[in-house]
Amino acid sequence: MNQFLTRSRVRSVATTVAVALTLTLAAAAGCDSRQEPEIPSVNDKLRETHIYGQPTIKIGVSTTGPLMGELRGGTYSGFDVEIARYVAAQLGYEGDKRIEWVPVATEDRIPALQGGSVDMVVSTFSMTEERAKLISFAGPYLVTTQEAMVPLRLKDSIRSIEDLRDPRYKVCTSGGSTTEAELGRHQIRVFVVKEVGDCISGILAGRYDAVSSDETILAGFLSKHPRDFTIIDMPFGTSEQIGVGVPISDPALRDLVAFFLDKSYQQGRKGQTSPWLTAYHRTLGPWMRAPKVQPPTLDVPKLVDFDDKAPRT
Amino acid sequence: MTAPAATGGNDVDADPPPPRVAPGRGSDERRARASQSFWAVVVAVPAIFSVLRLGVEAGGELQTTLLLVANVGPVNLLAGFLTTAARLLSTGLVCVFALGAVLGVSVDRLPGYRRPLFARWADITPAWFVVASFLIALVTWPLLYLPLLLPAFAAAFQLRPERLHDLAVARTLIVAALFGGYLFLLAPTLLDAWRQGEPLVLALFVVPPVLALAIAGPLPGAVIRPLASVTEAAVLVMLVWAALPVISTPVLPLTVTTVQTAPDVTEDVRGHVVVVDDVNMVLLQERGGVRYVPIDQVKEQVLCPSEEELPRHRLRVRDFHVEDSLMEGLGRRVRPVHRVDASCRATG
Repeated sequence: MNQFLTRSRVRSVATTVAVALTLTLAAAAGCDSRQEPEIPSVNDKLRETHIYGQPTIKIGVSTTGPLMGELRGGTYSGFDVEIARYVAAQLGYEGDKRIEWVPVATEDRIPALQGGSVDMVVSTFSMTEERAKLISFAGPYLVTTQEAMVPLRLKDSIRSIEDLRDPRYKVCTSGGSTTEAELGRHQIRVFVVKEVGDCISGILAGRYDAVSSDETILAGFLSKHPRDFTIIDMPFGTSEQIGVGVPISDPALRDLVAFFLDKSYQQGRKGQTSPWLTAYHRTLGPWMRAPKVQPPTLDVPKLVDFDDKAPRT
Repeated sequence: MTAPAATGGNDVDADPPPPRVAPGRGSDERRARASQSFWAVVVAVPAIFSVLRLGVEAGGELQTTLLLVANVGPVNLLAGFLTTAARLLSTGLVCVFALGAVLGVSVDRLPGYRRPLFARWADITPAWFVVASFLIALVTWPLLYLPLLLPAFAAAFQLRPERLHDLAVARTLIVAALFGGYLFLLAPTLLDAWRQGEPLVLALFVVPPVLALAIAGPLPGAVIRPLASVTEAAVLVMLVWAALPVISTPVLPLTVTTVQTAPDVTEDVRGHVVVVDDVNMVLLQERGGVRYVPIDQVKEQVLCPSEEELPRHRLRVRDFHVEDSLMEGLGRRVRPVHRVDASCRATG
């Protein structure tokens, strides 16, 4: 009988503890459901940016880079432009009516960001430490190497970096580019012009013998003059990371751009069609000797968005 | 139904419940009053909430409230309310039935003890209604809180492990197998929660199934009265607390309407469409005020999510987000792609 009573008491105590713990957990769950999210949302970040509330976004692009950033018949096209359109749409600026395209020359990219004449620059912008002291970068969205392109008449004469050092050959590149510095490191005498396009017209006019730049930029000009030029297989210098430039004063915008580039990267990793892949196949893809994939984005912030609950598989 | 009280007598180890006091006229009246009060609450609360929501949605403006009353039909209003408040309603009902059954079986042992309100409500509720409440909770509660339904269900129907098998060894094996399967299902989620430093998530997933084993049964006499008073007040406070966001949840869907006011001049209006006729689209703007937009100026309209839909956790159970209910999770599998339109971001 005593054993029976003891078991009954134990059960009562167990029930009491279970009821108390269940109510405590339920209360904790209730408090949890009303708490503000610890991780900021995309919209929270957007409110911190300097573009929030602007009716349009100003994006600096090249107008003279075939396949990358080009203005033809009043329409902007190219890989950089497609990436810019994707990022702008994610930020709330879908369609060219909401984008103010601002033509920027290679050497004007940093001043344009510093002066506020553009909100971001998407113009084959190499992410370097020197530049990162003046502006912020989100990316990379492309990794390229520096290459040289020569007219077909010189394809058997210029075949290596040593050949470019030959004072007989005039090598051209655009001012303010990483290629200019890299050629200098290799003791190559270089003729600096404003745009790579000027080098191309210079070679066609017989003023220069070779042009050096990013492989993507050169692929663009090769697509324009396939019967006049050839790219020499001699990548030099370190590979370059191409990113989106944003004002250094707006870390929230940098975070958002990085977040959206990473979103595209994650889609591509899963084997899905990503905005990056679509842009690549529409522009650069057919002209690249080795197919490229989107590189992983650096310094991606943790943000929550409305589509986070969607199935991943 | 009296299902909870009736099943309480199946306990093989506990004291046999003493016979209840013979029901007289007084107890019949009390039972009738309890029944009336219960059904009054179940019917009146949604109706009052629906009307309150219109007032809140209108921004407290009388004329705007009247505009909404004139254009939001009662069926739409009730359907909208049930969509957003089903979770709250089922939570309230589950709490009442679980606590009512535990308190009921506890006072059964104490002759002459006045039955607490929740126990009386549990007594008069039909079994199908209790089961339906749990089913609604099962499909509307976020996965994160679903494990709490296990102890609640065991309490409401006074289910004990003894029901599983007569032999203690067999019972232990069955419970161990069930718990093992449960942990296997949740293992990746628990590991992620551990890595992300989410102790509450770990507790909410692991502890409730254990509590379900011990929750059925009578409480000690000394606990019944304070528990009854405290929980009745707590459930009431909890419902009021949880009801506030439900009252402020919009009745109408959130949209962004692109309006062309002049050639090449467009404006995004963020708000809720009240009504559309041949002349105007009436928009209740998110920042307040009603705007009548001539129908020929409307160029585009998109549906936008609200900030309340943003997740707080980054955890999934077998690819179902922990903050999704079963219903929402299954819905996302039917329409997996969710695209936030650019217009929803651009306007603040």
